[in-house]
Amino acid sequence: MIAKEPTDQLLSFEDDLRDWGARPPRTPASVARTRVTARLPLAREPIPWLRLAASAALVVVLVVATWLGAPRAGREGTAFVHGESPPPVDPNVVVWVVDTRTTVYFVLGADGFAKGGMS
Amino acid sequence: MSVDEGTDSLVRAALGGDREAFGSLVERNWNRLVRLARSVVGELEAEDAVQDGLVAAWGRLATLAQPERFDAWVSRIVFRRCLRASRRQRGRVSLEAVPETATTCDPEVSLSAWQLLSRLAPQQRAVLHLTVVEGMTDAEIAPLLAITPASVRSHRRRARESVTRLLQGGKP
Repeated sequence: MIAKEPTDQLLSFEDDLRDWGARPPRTPASVARTRVTARLPLAREPIPWLRLAASAALVVVLVVATWLGAPRAGREGTAFVHGESPPPVDPNVVVWVVDTRTTVYFVLGADGFAKGGMS
Repeated sequence: MSVDEGTDSLVRAALGGDREAFGSLVERNWNRLVRLARSVVGELEAEDAVQDGLVAAWGRLATLAQPERFDAWVSRIVFRRCLRASRRQRGRVSLEAVPETATTCDPEVSLSAWQLLSRLAPQQRAVLHLTVVEGMTDAEIAPLLAITPASVRSHRRRARESVTRLLQGGKP
Protein backbone atom coordinates (compact mmCIF):
# COMPACT_ATOMS: atom_id res chain seq x y z
CA MET A 1 0.00 0.00 0.00
CA ILE A 2 1.36 3.40 -0.91
CA ALA A 3 1.35 6.11 1.68
CA LYS A 4 -0.74 9.13 0.79
CA GLU A 5 1.73 11.54 2.32
CA PRO A 6 5.29 11.66 0.95
CA THR A 7 7.41 9.29 2.95
CA ASP A 8 10.76 10.20 4.46
CA GLN A 9 12.34 8.15 1.68
CA LEU A 10 10.52 10.17 -0.93
CA LEU A 11 11.54 13.45 0.70
CA SER A 12 15.11 12.22 0.82
CA PHE A 13 14.93 11.30 -2.88
CA GLU A 14 13.58 14.74 -3.73
CA ASP A 15 16.47 16.33 -1.81
CA ASP A 16 18.90 14.19 -3.84
CA LEU A 17 17.09 15.12 -7.03
CA ARG A 18 17.32 18.80 -6.13
CA ASP A 19 21.08 18.52 -5.67
CA TRP A 20 21.55 16.42 -8.81
CA GLY A 21 19.22 18.47 -10.98
CA ALA A 22 20.53 21.87 -9.96
CA ARG A 23 24.12 21.22 -11.06
CA PRO A 24 25.34 23.62 -13.74
CA PRO A 25 25.71 22.21 -17.28
CA ARG A 26 29.12 20.93 -18.34
CA THR A 27 29.20 23.50 -21.13
CA PRO A 28 29.00 27.10 -19.90
CA ALA A 29 26.25 29.27 -21.36
CA SER A 30 28.71 31.57 -23.13
CA VAL A 31 30.34 28.64 -24.93
CA ALA A 32 26.94 27.19 -25.81
CA ARG A 33 25.96 30.56 -27.27
CA THR A 34 28.94 30.46 -29.65
CA ARG A 35 28.27 26.85 -30.63
CA VAL A 36 24.58 27.37 -31.28
CA THR A 37 24.96 30.59 -33.25
CA ALA A 38 27.63 28.90 -35.39
CA ARG A 39 25.08 26.22 -36.27
CA LEU A 40 22.31 28.62 -37.26
CA PRO A 41 21.50 28.42 -40.96
CA LEU A 42 21.88 31.71 -42.83
CA ALA A 43 18.30 31.74 -44.01
CA ARG A 44 15.44 30.87 -41.69
CA GLU A 45 12.82 28.39 -42.74
CA PRO A 46 10.27 30.38 -44.76
CA ILE A 47 6.86 30.70 -43.18
CA PRO A 48 4.07 28.75 -44.99
CA TRP A 49 2.50 31.63 -46.92
CA LEU A 50 5.91 32.64 -48.24
CA ARG A 51 6.48 29.08 -49.41
CA LEU A 52 3.09 29.12 -51.13
CA ALA A 53 3.84 32.43 -52.87
CA ALA A 54 7.22 31.11 -54.00
CA SER A 55 5.56 27.99 -55.48
CA ALA A 56 3.00 30.12 -57.32
CA ALA A 57 5.75 32.37 -58.72
CA LEU A 58 7.68 29.32 -59.89
CA VAL A 59 4.64 27.97 -61.74
CA VAL A 60 4.16 31.34 -63.47
CA VAL A 61 7.83 31.44 -64.52
CA LEU A 62 7.62 27.88 -65.89
CA VAL A 63 4.47 28.66 -67.89
CA VAL A 64 6.03 31.82 -69.38
CA ALA A 65 9.29 30.03 -70.14
CA THR A 66 7.44 27.19 -71.87
CA TRP A 67 5.42 29.65 -73.93
CA LEU A 68 8.49 31.65 -74.97
CA GLY A 69 10.49 28.54 -75.80
CA ALA A 70 7.83 26.83 -77.90
CA PRO A 71 8.47 26.80 -81.72
CA ARG A 72 6.00 28.99 -83.53
CA ALA A 73 5.18 29.69 -87.17
CA GLY A 74 7.29 32.44 -88.72
CA ARG A 75 10.31 31.67 -86.62
CA GLU A 76 13.56 29.86 -87.27
CA GLY A 77 13.26 26.59 -89.15
CA THR A 78 9.94 27.21 -90.86
CA ALA A 79 11.62 27.54 -94.25
CA PHE A 80 10.93 23.89 -94.97
CA VAL A 81 7.26 24.33 -94.39
CA HIS A 82 6.62 27.59 -96.12
CA GLY A 83 8.40 28.89 -99.17
CA GLU A 84 11.76 27.20 -99.63
CA SER A 85 12.09 23.57 -100.65
CA PRO A 86 13.84 21.06 -98.47
CA PRO A 87 17.39 20.26 -99.52
CA PRO A 88 17.48 17.94 -102.53
CA VAL A 89 17.89 14.30 -101.60
CA ASP A 90 18.01 11.02 -103.46
CA PRO A 91 14.76 9.10 -103.89
CA ASN A 92 16.04 6.39 -101.54
CA VAL A 93 16.58 8.88 -98.75
CA VAL A 94 13.95 9.64 -96.15
CA VAL A 95 14.33 12.95 -94.37
CA TRP A 96 12.93 13.29 -90.85
CA VAL A 97 12.93 16.81 -89.54
CA VAL A 98 12.86 16.38 -85.76
CA ASP A 99 13.03 20.10 -85.06
CA THR A 100 14.55 23.23 -86.52
CA ARG A 101 18.06 22.11 -85.64
CA THR A 102 17.83 18.35 -86.04
CA THR A 103 17.31 16.55 -89.31
CA VAL A 104 17.71 12.79 -89.57
CA TYR A 105 18.41 11.16 -92.96
CA PHE A 106 17.45 7.51 -93.46
CA VAL A 107 19.13 5.98 -96.51
CA LEU A 108 17.21 3.02 -97.90
CA GLY A 109 18.86 0.34 -99.99
CA ALA A 110 21.02 -2.75 -100.05
CA ASP A 111 24.26 -0.77 -100.13
CA GLY A 112 23.79 0.56 -96.67
CA PHE A 113 23.18 -2.88 -95.23
CA ALA A 114 26.05 -4.37 -97.19
CA LYS A 115 28.43 -1.77 -95.89
CA GLY A 116 27.02 -2.02 -92.42
CA GLY A 117 27.09 1.72 -92.11
CA MET A 118 24.71 4.26 -90.77
CA SER A 119 23.74 7.58 -92.17
CA MET B 1 8.18 31.72 -15.13
CA SER B 2 8.74 35.42 -15.11
CA VAL B 3 8.55 37.23 -18.41
CA ASP B 4 11.75 39.11 -18.91
CA GLU B 5 11.38 42.60 -20.26
CA GLY B 6 14.31 42.20 -22.64
CA THR B 7 13.17 38.89 -24.08
CA ASP B 8 10.55 40.56 -26.21
CA SER B 9 12.99 42.93 -27.90
CA LEU B 10 15.61 40.20 -28.36
CA VAL B 11 13.07 37.95 -30.05
CA ARG B 12 11.99 40.77 -32.35
CA ALA B 13 15.62 41.46 -33.26
CA ALA B 14 16.22 37.75 -33.87
CA LEU B 15 13.13 37.69 -36.09
CA GLY B 16 14.82 40.34 -38.18
CA GLY B 17 17.80 38.03 -38.64
CA ASP B 18 19.95 39.27 -35.75
CA ARG B 19 21.94 36.17 -34.80
CA GLU B 20 23.61 37.89 -31.84
CA ALA B 21 20.22 38.68 -30.36
CA PHE B 22 19.32 35.02 -30.69
CA GLY B 23 22.69 34.20 -29.11
CA SER B 24 21.69 36.27 -26.09
CA LEU B 25 18.47 34.29 -25.83
CA VAL B 26 20.49 31.08 -25.99
CA GLU B 27 22.79 32.28 -23.21
CA ARG B 28 19.89 33.30 -21.01
CA ASN B 29 18.05 30.00 -21.37
CA TRP B 30 20.91 27.52 -21.65
CA ASN B 31 21.30 26.50 -17.98
CA ARG B 32 17.59 26.10 -17.40
CA LEU B 33 17.07 24.09 -20.59
CA VAL B 34 20.02 21.77 -19.93
CA ARG B 35 18.80 21.11 -16.41
CA LEU B 36 15.39 20.13 -17.80
CA ALA B 37 16.89 18.01 -20.60
CA ARG B 38 19.23 16.25 -18.18
CA SER B 39 16.30 15.12 -16.07
CA VAL B 40 14.50 13.75 -19.13
CA VAL B 41 17.30 12.16 -21.18
CA GLY B 42 20.25 12.04 -18.78
CA GLU B 43 23.64 13.65 -18.76
CA LEU B 44 24.98 12.25 -22.02
CA GLU B 45 22.34 13.47 -24.45
CA ALA B 46 21.04 16.55 -22.66
CA GLU B 47 23.28 19.22 -24.16
CA ASP B 48 22.95 17.83 -27.70
CA ALA B 49 19.17 17.80 -27.37
CA VAL B 50 19.16 21.41 -26.18
CA GLN B 51 21.49 22.56 -28.95
CA ASP B 52 19.35 20.82 -31.59
CA GLY B 53 16.23 22.34 -30.07
CA LEU B 54 17.68 25.83 -30.12
CA VAL B 55 18.74 25.54 -33.77
CA ALA B 56 15.23 24.29 -34.61
CA ALA B 57 13.76 27.21 -32.66
CA TRP B 58 15.73 29.69 -34.79
CA GLY B 59 14.19 28.16 -37.91
CA ARG B 60 10.66 28.40 -36.51
CA LEU B 61 10.94 31.78 -34.86
CA ALA B 62 8.44 33.30 -37.28
CA THR B 63 5.75 30.98 -35.90
CA LEU B 64 6.12 32.34 -32.38
CA ALA B 65 2.94 34.33 -31.88
CA GLN B 66 3.90 35.96 -28.57
CA PRO B 67 7.60 36.95 -28.44
CA GLU B 68 7.37 37.54 -24.69
CA ARG B 69 6.55 33.84 -24.30
CA PHE B 70 9.82 32.75 -25.90
CA ASP B 71 11.07 30.93 -22.78
CA ALA B 72 8.05 28.64 -22.57
CA TRP B 73 7.97 28.17 -26.35
CA VAL B 74 11.62 27.13 -26.59
CA SER B 75 11.17 24.83 -23.58
CA ARG B 76 8.40 22.99 -25.44
CA ILE B 77 10.66 22.56 -28.48
CA VAL B 78 13.51 21.23 -26.35
CA PHE B 79 11.17 18.99 -24.37
CA ARG B 80 9.83 17.44 -27.59
CA ARG B 81 13.43 16.78 -28.69
CA CYS B 82 14.06 15.13 -25.35
CA LEU B 83 10.97 12.95 -25.72
CA ARG B 84 12.26 11.76 -29.10
CA ALA B 85 15.71 11.10 -27.67
CA SER B 86 14.14 9.27 -24.76
CA ARG B 87 12.19 6.99 -27.12
CA ARG B 88 15.42 6.18 -28.95
CA GLN B 89 17.12 5.39 -25.66
CA ARG B 90 14.37 3.05 -24.49
CA GLY B 91 15.63 -0.47 -24.46
CA ARG B 92 19.00 0.61 -25.83
CA VAL B 93 20.71 1.77 -22.66
CA SER B 94 20.62 -0.29 -19.53
CA LEU B 95 20.49 1.49 -16.22
CA GLU B 96 24.01 0.48 -15.29
CA ALA B 97 25.35 1.74 -18.61
CA VAL B 98 24.38 5.34 -17.92
CA PRO B 99 27.56 7.06 -16.83
CA GLU B 100 27.27 9.89 -14.41
CA THR B 101 30.37 12.02 -14.48
CA ALA B 102 29.21 14.70 -12.12
CA THR B 103 32.01 16.02 -10.02
CA THR B 104 30.19 18.76 -8.21
CA CYS B 105 28.25 16.50 -5.88
CA ASP B 106 28.36 13.06 -4.33
CA PRO B 107 28.39 10.49 -7.18
CA GLU B 108 26.28 8.08 -5.12
CA VAL B 109 23.65 10.74 -4.76
CA SER B 110 23.77 11.45 -8.51
CA LEU B 111 23.45 7.81 -9.36
CA SER B 112 20.53 7.17 -7.10
CA ALA B 113 18.66 10.26 -8.24
CA TRP B 114 19.09 9.50 -11.95
CA GLN B 115 18.63 5.77 -11.40
CA LEU B 116 15.21 6.38 -9.95
CA LEU B 117 14.30 9.19 -12.31
CA SER B 118 15.19 7.15 -15.38
CA ARG B 119 12.66 4.50 -14.38
CA LEU B 120 9.81 6.97 -14.78
CA ALA B 121 7.98 8.04 -17.93
CA PRO B 122 9.64 11.09 -19.60
CA GLN B 123 6.67 13.36 -18.82
CA GLN B 124 6.81 12.33 -15.17
CA ARG B 125 10.55 13.07 -15.06
CA ALA B 126 9.95 16.52 -16.51
CA VAL B 127 7.12 17.35 -14.10
CA LEU B 128 9.11 16.13 -11.11
CA HIS B 129 12.14 18.13 -12.23
CA LEU B 130 10.21 21.34 -12.78
CA THR B 131 8.42 20.93 -9.43
CA VAL B 132 11.32 19.84 -7.25
CA VAL B 133 14.39 21.37 -8.88
CA GLU B 134 12.95 24.54 -10.43
CA GLY B 135 10.22 25.06 -7.83
CA MET B 136 7.60 25.91 -10.43
CA THR B 137 3.84 25.87 -9.94
CA ASP B 138 1.44 23.72 -11.96
CA ALA B 139 0.27 26.79 -13.87
CA GLU B 140 3.88 27.57 -14.83
CA ILE B 141 4.74 23.97 -15.76
CA ALA B 142 1.68 23.34 -17.94
CA PRO B 143 2.58 25.64 -20.88
CA LEU B 144 6.18 24.42 -20.86
CA LEU B 145 5.13 20.84 -21.47
CA ALA B 146 2.02 21.71 -23.52
CA ILE B 147 -0.30 19.95 -21.07
CA THR B 148 -2.99 21.12 -18.66
CA PRO B 149 -2.37 21.89 -14.97
CA ALA B 150 -4.56 18.87 -14.15
CA SER B 151 -2.21 16.66 -16.21
CA VAL B 152 0.74 18.16 -14.37
CA ARG B 153 -0.81 17.12 -11.06
CA SER B 154 -1.60 13.68 -12.41
CA HIS B 155 1.95 13.13 -13.74
CA ARG B 156 3.45 14.29 -10.45
CA ARG B 157 1.19 12.08 -8.36
CA ARG B 158 2.03 9.03 -10.48
CA ALA B 159 5.74 9.90 -10.44
CA ARG B 160 5.76 10.09 -6.65
CA GLU B 161 3.84 6.82 -6.38
CA SER B 162 6.34 5.13 -8.69
CA VAL B 163 9.33 6.51 -6.81
CA THR B 164 7.85 5.36 -3.51
CA ARG B 165 7.31 1.87 -4.93
CA LEU B 166 10.86 1.80 -6.29
CA LEU B 167 12.27 2.93 -2.98
CA GLN B 168 10.41 0.12 -1.30
CA GLY B 169 11.99 -2.35 -3.70
CA GLY B 170 9.06 -2.71 -6.07
CA LYS B 171 8.51 -1.91 -9.74
CA PRO B 172 7.54 1.58 -10.95
